[in-house]
Amino acid sequence: MRDFNTSALGRWLACACLVAAPVIATADIPEGYPADYAALVAKAETEGSVVVYANTEHAAIEPIVEDFQKAFPKIRVDYIEIKAADLFSRVSSESAAGALKADMVWSSAMDLQYQMVEDGIAAEYVSPEKGAVPAWSNFGDKIYGITYEPVVMVYNSKLVSAEEMPDTRAGLASWLIANKQRMTGKVATYDPERSGLGFFAVSADAANGNALWPLVTAFGAVDTKFYTSTGTMLEKISAGEHAIGYNIIGPYAYLRAERDPNVKVVVPKDFTVVLSRLAIVTEKAQHPAAARVFLDYLLSHRGQTVVGNQAHLFAIRPDVEGSATIAGLSAEYGDILKPVKIGPELLDAIQPMQRLAFFRKWNDALKAGK
Amino acid sequence: MRNESWRNGVALLTALFILAPVGLIVWQSFLTDAFFSPRAGVTGATYGFVLDDPGFWDALRNTVVLSVGMVVIAVPLGSLLAFLMVRTDLPGRKWIEPAIFLPLFMSPMVLAFGYIVSIGPSGFWSVWWERLFGAPFWNVYSMPMLILVVGLSHVTHVYIYVSTALRTVPSDLEEAARVAGGSPLTVATKITLPLVWPSIAVSAVLVAFLGFELFGLPYVLGDQDGRMVLATYLYKFNTLLGRPAYQLMAVVVIFIMLITLPLVMLQRRMLRTAQRYSTIGGKATRAHLVPLGRWRWIAFAAVLLWLYAVVLLPLSGVMLRSVVTTWGPLVAVRDVLTWDNYAKLAEMPLIRRSIVNTVILAFVGGFASLCVYALIGLASHRSPLKTTRGLDFLVLLPRAMPGIVAGLVVFWIFLFVPVLKPFVASLAAMWVAYTLVWLPFGLRLVSTSFGQVGRELEEAAHVTGAGALRVARDVTLPLSRHGLMAAWLLAFLLYSREYSTGIFLMGQGNEVMGTMLVSLWNGGNIDVASSLAVVNTLVIGGGIALALRLGVRLDA
Repeated sequence: MRDFNTSALGRWLACACLVAAPVIATADIPEGYPADYAALVAKAETEGSVVVYANTEHAAIEPIVEDFQKAFPKIRVDYIEIKAADLFSRVSSESAAGALKADMVWSSAMDLQYQMVEDGIAAEYVSPEKGAVPAWSNFGDKIYGITYEPVVMVYNSKLVSAEEMPDTRAGLASWLIANKQRMTGKVATYDPERSGLGFFAVSADAANGNALWPLVTAFGAVDTKFYTSTGTMLEKISAGEHAIGYNIIGPYAYLRAERDPNVKVVVPKDFTVVLSRLAIVTEKAQHPAAARVFLDYLLSHRGQTVVGNQAHLFAIRPDVEGSATIAGLSAEYGDILKPVKIGPELLDAIQPMQRLAFFRKWNDALKAGK
Repeated sequence: MRNESWRNGVALLTALFILAPVGLIVWQSFLTDAFFSPRAGVTGATYGFVLDDPGFWDALRNTVVLSVGMVVIAVPLGSLLAFLMVRTDLPGRKWIEPAIFLPLFMSPMVLAFGYIVSIGPSGFWSVWWERLFGAPFWNVYSMPMLILVVGLSHVTHVYIYVSTALRTVPSDLEEAARVAGGSPLTVATKITLPLVWPSIAVSAVLVAFLGFELFGLPYVLGDQDGRMVLATYLYKFNTLLGRPAYQLMAVVVIFIMLITLPLVMLQRRMLRTAQRYSTIGGKATRAHLVPLGRWRWIAFAAVLLWLYAVVLLPLSGVMLRSVVTTWGPLVAVRDVLTWDNYAKLAEMPLIRRSIVNTVILAFVGGFASLCVYALIGLASHRSPLKTTRGLDFLVLLPRAMPGIVAGLVVFWIFLFVPVLKPFVASLAAMWVAYTLVWLPFGLRLVSTSFGQVGRELEEAAHVTGAGALRVARDVTLPLSRHGLMAAWLLAFLLYSREYSTGIFLMGQGNEVMGTMLVSLWNGGNIDVASSLAVVNTLVIGGGIALALRLGVRLDA
């Protein structure tokens, strides 16, 4: 924003905003926002658009963008969807060339998102909504968690009955061994080597105690199939090619369960890792005000209601009600939910040596079961 | 003495166009981090890392097997198909022709997914089979199946090359052989085959090349068992070490280039005598068809069987998936039928935009690429210069880069070359990447066609005072129009389903269908992905059928 204010155009616009402010102030600024927020909105409207690079699929984003457009008809959202690792490549390349187009980067790859903060790509911004979301969901006012997504197990109820489906890692491990013949080739999970998200989820499992490793050995015993995308796993579980999916990202699992009654979701009772899609506003944003307005909208009660109840991405704001919200989840599962801490420790997941050590342990555990 | 300096100019520009990305990859392969990163230092350890990884050797072995298998299956079948279509009285040729291109309409990822829905373990063809005959004998995820699928689905590539060549070969020789009592098979092997040999050789090398960078089919069908080929192995380095390890990806690309080098040499050897085969003479002849006799219906059945395997099987899978909420042996289709997937398609404004963009890029962009290929082709056509002959080798290099890498490298070039910077993330940048990636294919098609124009016709034009431009305009280009049309068609088809190349070059509002499809599919929205795939197939298929109906004819 500093660049903006010192440029001649910026000064001119700032003047224009000041003149316009009293008029716009009568328009609805949400309650509890600072008095000068109208000026920010006016500036955002002059900017006219916000460029968002993200990895959430279009179908989920559509209701959010639509509602934002209703709230701020003068700010267009240019939403560009790129897979997590490619998103990181694109942002870091553009940033190195001094040509970053994104005003906001929003991704479920929490580790890579934090790397961007570390690389100085994120701008500091205290959102007026900061007080309304859990304190742990933001770090240094540079990175904000927008969603609260449990990592779950999924099963096909035509192949495994509700009574026999285990709901803890230890339970699943021993049940798989006991039903080895029936379950051979029937279990699906992420390949941590080939999927960044898969690695992240499973290393969060490992960080929550020792329950993971016997399970990995059981995976080896039943010749588990390893995938790179949630979509394929859910599709094959739904079709009966696989019976059980482990470490499936919640929103996708629930959405699938809603459409296919045979697909059931199990929230692990020993502990459930919770991930969040993290957003940063970029330091070099070409539409800095619009990016901030969009972030505030995403965190606002109105935005979070859409995030949770229409996009089914699980709202992180406690005062939003519904099943796909932190409130709904906490009421049902309480203490077993283990949100991944947002902060510099996220970078541990992308240290090459740590990863290679993890893969060795993973492969040894798999082999032990074979 | 004619002025030949323009040839040098074109050769130089082409070399720059190819060597800039290749050079960037070589440089990147010796660094410890991204080339633009302040953390990057020089190292040779990257090569050691890849060579020490048993996964690399597995992937290499799989790739070689796949590539050889593809050539063995696709080249004979594609050549045979071309002969049947162009030279014989095979029944139903009119409607078979557009169908031949169908395997090229669908993104390989969707094609692979179609096979899973139709003949996978829960596939509906498998379920029928099981009911009638017991457990299926095939496994859709096995290596032999993968080879069969990629081999059969690349028959079309070979067909395009060989049929283009065949259409310019006069049929009087075949007729003479037939009058002398030769059976269709004898005519095909003794007369036709030698005449189109250069085109078959070229297509064999190109198919082998495609085998080396194949991504979509092995990615989907080899996913669950972690069976990798070089292109999917390379992709692993995007996530293996946390941040994308460009240096390791670059190393793998360089290995692919080195491995494909012998193929280039081989092609040169095979084409050394290509000039003997210039077959478009000054005399106009009418094509006569070889009567197949009793082979007629057998050939017809064989073509149908192939179409069944490469079109009906996967397409039926995708079409079925597009009208149900789920599938497999556990549900009855009538319980899960829905039109919702299409309704959802209509709700996404983006889809319309992506269709428009795809058509622009494939149709207009394809034509623009054709012009580029034709210019390069003309520059090296019958060129006495060493510079232009050096291009023979260079033009194959871009294809050693899998699409995703080529897209990333073009993105970097646009980003870090100041004059190009404003055009990054535009349709123009995407067009450049597509043109680069498909250069070997388009150019070969164009230049083999040029090669078949009789030298004496061009010489005659020269002698009567025409300059290089005039000769090209009035002699070479019109006489090789089959090749040019085929190159345009190929570009249109390949551009309209291309997905990986555009990932980094996508900007506001320039989404293309191929990329949309894959991101929907990866994002788990298989409902919409399959309905979009069907719409995509209909749009392209309809376009081709309309073009053929309106008189845009490959055999005109």
